[in-house]
Amino acid sequence: MAEVRRRRKRESRVLRYVVLGGWALFCLAPVLWFLSIGLRPRTEIITPQPIYLPTFSLDAWRMIWSDWPMGAYLRNSVLAIAGSVVISVSLAIPAAYSLSRYRYRFREDIGFYILSTRMMAPAIVAIPIFFLFRNMGLLDTIWALMLIYAAINLSLVTWIIRSYMLDIPPELEDAARTDGASDLRILWEIIIPACLPGIITAAVIAAIFAINEFLFTLLIASTSSAYTMSVALANFTGGSDGVIYNAIALVAFIAFVPVFLVVVAIQKHLSRGLTMGAVKG
Amino acid sequence: MARIELSGIQKKWGAVWGVRDVNIDIADQEFVVFLGPSGCGKTTTMRMIAGLEEPSEGEIRMDGEVMNEVEPRDRDVAMVFQGYALYPNMTIYENIRFPLRMRGVPRAEQDRLVRRAAELVELGGYLDRKPAALSGGQRQRAALGRAIVRQPQVFLMDEPLSNLDAQLRQAMRVQIKHLQRQLKITTVYVTHDQIEAMTLADRIVVMQGGMIQQIGTPDQIYSDPANTFVAGFIGAPPMNLIEGAVSGGVFRASGIEVGGVAVSGDRPVTLGVRPEDCHVGQGEPHLRGAVYGVEPTGEATYLTLKAGEKLIEVKAMRAYRAALGITEAVAFDRARLYFFDVETGQRIG
Amino acid sequence: MTDAALSGGEAARAASIAPERGLRRRSRFRRRAFPYLLVAPAVVYLLMITLYPGVYAIYQSFFHVRFNSWTFVGFDNYRSLMGDREFWAALSNTFVIGSIALALQCALAMLLAFHAYRDPFVKGWRIVFLIPMLFMPSAVAFIWKLAFNDGRIVSDLLMRVGLIDANVSFLSSISLARMTLIVADVWQWTPFLFIIFVAGLQSQDEEIEEAARLDGASWAAIFWNISLPMMAPVVAIAVVLRGIDITTMFTNVYIMTQGTPGGATETISYFIYRLGFKTFNFGYASAASVLMLILTIIVAQTVVKRAFRSGRL
Repeated sequence: MAEVRRRRKRESRVLRYVVLGGWALFCLAPVLWFLSIGLRPRTEIITPQPIYLPTFSLDAWRMIWSDWPMGAYLRNSVLAIAGSVVISVSLAIPAAYSLSRYRYRFREDIGFYILSTRMMAPAIVAIPIFFLFRNMGLLDTIWALMLIYAAINLSLVTWIIRSYMLDIPPELEDAARTDGASDLRILWEIIIPACLPGIITAAVIAAIFAINEFLFTLLIASTSSAYTMSVALANFTGGSDGVIYNAIALVAFIAFVPVFLVVVAIQKHLSRGLTMGAVKG
Repeated sequence: MARIELSGIQKKWGAVWGVRDVNIDIADQEFVVFLGPSGCGKTTTMRMIAGLEEPSEGEIRMDGEVMNEVEPRDRDVAMVFQGYALYPNMTIYENIRFPLRMRGVPRAEQDRLVRRAAELVELGGYLDRKPAALSGGQRQRAALGRAIVRQPQVFLMDEPLSNLDAQLRQAMRVQIKHLQRQLKITTVYVTHDQIEAMTLADRIVVMQGGMIQQIGTPDQIYSDPANTFVAGFIGAPPMNLIEGAVSGGVFRASGIEVGGVAVSGDRPVTLGVRPEDCHVGQGEPHLRGAVYGVEPTGEATYLTLKAGEKLIEVKAMRAYRAALGITEAVAFDRARLYFFDVETGQRIG
Repeated sequence: MTDAALSGGEAARAASIAPERGLRRRSRFRRRAFPYLLVAPAVVYLLMITLYPGVYAIYQSFFHVRFNSWTFVGFDNYRSLMGDREFWAALSNTFVIGSIALALQCALAMLLAFHAYRDPFVKGWRIVFLIPMLFMPSAVAFIWKLAFNDGRIVSDLLMRVGLIDANVSFLSSISLARMTLIVADVWQWTPFLFIIFVAGLQSQDEEIEEAARLDGASWAAIFWNISLPMMAPVVAIAVVLRGIDITTMFTNVYIMTQGTPGGATETISYFIYRLGFKTFNFGYASAASVLMLILTIIVAQTVVKRAFRSGRL
């Protein structure tokens, strides 16, 4: 009997590793392959027979810096992301504080409204936003990107921070109040430090969504003044074959590495962040 | 001077009453304990004194001035919370310094006062640590330190000892009482632990269901309870409350007969008698019952007798032993009998 | 406690660090308004990008817009839209592609989570599972564009394994083209559901699981009868979030198929984009946007409000 059980246990473990290993392979193989695409000469990418063992070449790396304004793409991405995160976090913190700590008549409605903007498909407001920015002369600027990214992420950031604020024991605020602190001081000195992990998580996730943003950026940006890495990928065309994949691959990895590092750092908070506080890892 | 007067205080949330009809006058430097089970309204009342809640009706006065609309930060009260509520991102020094900063006390003065407070609570060597690095008892003392540092007019303490283990609790009780006498500050203390109430209070306010059951000194509460709730709540093991009837000056319940009772008429009545006021096998017995349980505690032996359907606790000598089931006779101390109306629970004799 | 500086107590009191009692009686109004003031900047900002564009889109949908000239056409745009085969096709495509992709990634994520959550060894390697999600969606689209279409890697591999005989063009048939979009989406976003499911599974009460094991249940039985029902709210939230994002699928379509073959992979977002920015038929595109907005509001009011009320969000 014990023998049967032991065998069953071993079998189930084998099954587990097969399943997980299989998926891990499926995750990694395309990535490694794409990396190899980035590190090979262009001629070896689109061939009658796919080449699995290419020759190593840093052509693409040279190309993206010399033939394209890669520096500008990078700069635009970084600035747009940083600016939008600053805007959304600054707006979100007081809002989250209000939603988590105070009781007032329209709180549910306001909360629901903020939440619902997360549901909004970019395509719905794409055209009006385009016209809006055009009329304001903000097309093709990083400012426009910052504003739109902040708007897209505001709901997410507010809700994540709110979730972390709800965890702070109300006793802390009562203590501060009897100690003589004003509401704003309580927010600044007590609440914010206490929910710092939440703020960081929210900022990181907002940043990632900003890096990823495609539709609005496509409409807004038209020159290297505003192209971010995400949309710039679609620019790498030229020559007889059209798409220049090795360049694309390298840029993809340039964007990937910082995102990877930062996600590893906030791993613990990831599920909570992605579900806006609903599922605590 | 810090007198506190609560008059006609009510607090309700929607249709639910939290606190009803609370009237108390607390004298300057008095140590008052609000005692009662969870949900009785004691914490809510204290929070209203602090200004963290607003009374639905009634007035709160300090030194004669109405305080209802005044923010907590302007009331000059200091509070010690059950969970200590120390600011986790600050060191103990910073925690204690916080109220001084909020009040705009000059820098040099701040340092002196913080160190003095830390010394008073014996945390002098821990000032640069954060709350997470301290033990429960130390955190409690840190919270105390923060409360005393600015010499408030009133101390409010919300079950500060309930998160400590029994031994530590006893030590801290003594310290708190000592500190209060030293600093001469009016104190309102909330707890559900009647031992804390009895040992710390100048006066106890017993609350239940949002209403005051009785206000009095520990002695009064113990020896002169106003109703069955108070009688049963104070004292461990609790007072025996036996339902029966009085007729012609004699109280009868199954297994019990007590003559010469000063309650008039024929009516159902609850008899209250404390275990320590029952004496086994001495003098004329008032109670006969079968031995249901014998519990030696070291300092005494508690005997449970079954009379009719009721179980009655009697305190016996340390060496007392008896077999289960045999009948015992117990005499009550006639000077320490209490009679309560069966329906209202109010004391009638 | 020491008796240090007892008299200091009296002196300190005299030094009066006590505030003047009743100094600041905050007006009732200010106290009531404060939480609104806190939340106002965020709300106003959001109104600017939802209310204003919403109103603008509604307004524009009643016009025929050609460059800078606007001609009022009333409900014409909407009428044409209702009769527009491509519009309905876009909706149906979105639905078909979206639901298949969602169901697939849900099932996969569940299967993976079931195997992964109990195993401490796997914990360190879980980061590998996250990798697809960390690439930019446009990058992922190019990866699969190359693998399926331009570089024919998938074809080649399938041939080597012996599953097919000749090179397959993934853009040639409707189902194949849709499949490429589905694969790209599933590859990238299964990790999203995976981490959430794992978190949900791990948060369940260990004691309940142990009791079930002692009662003789197998891991699969425990999963099916205990874990899964308990995870229902978690699954619901994750599926709603991912579902909403799937219906807005744009990037994959733009990069990989541009709607081919014959519009079979055109999602509603791409449809609006094409109308607005390829044929510059802005009024018409706005009408489509408005319809999409109405649809979103309906979904938000029903599905999301329930999640909101249930206290989960």
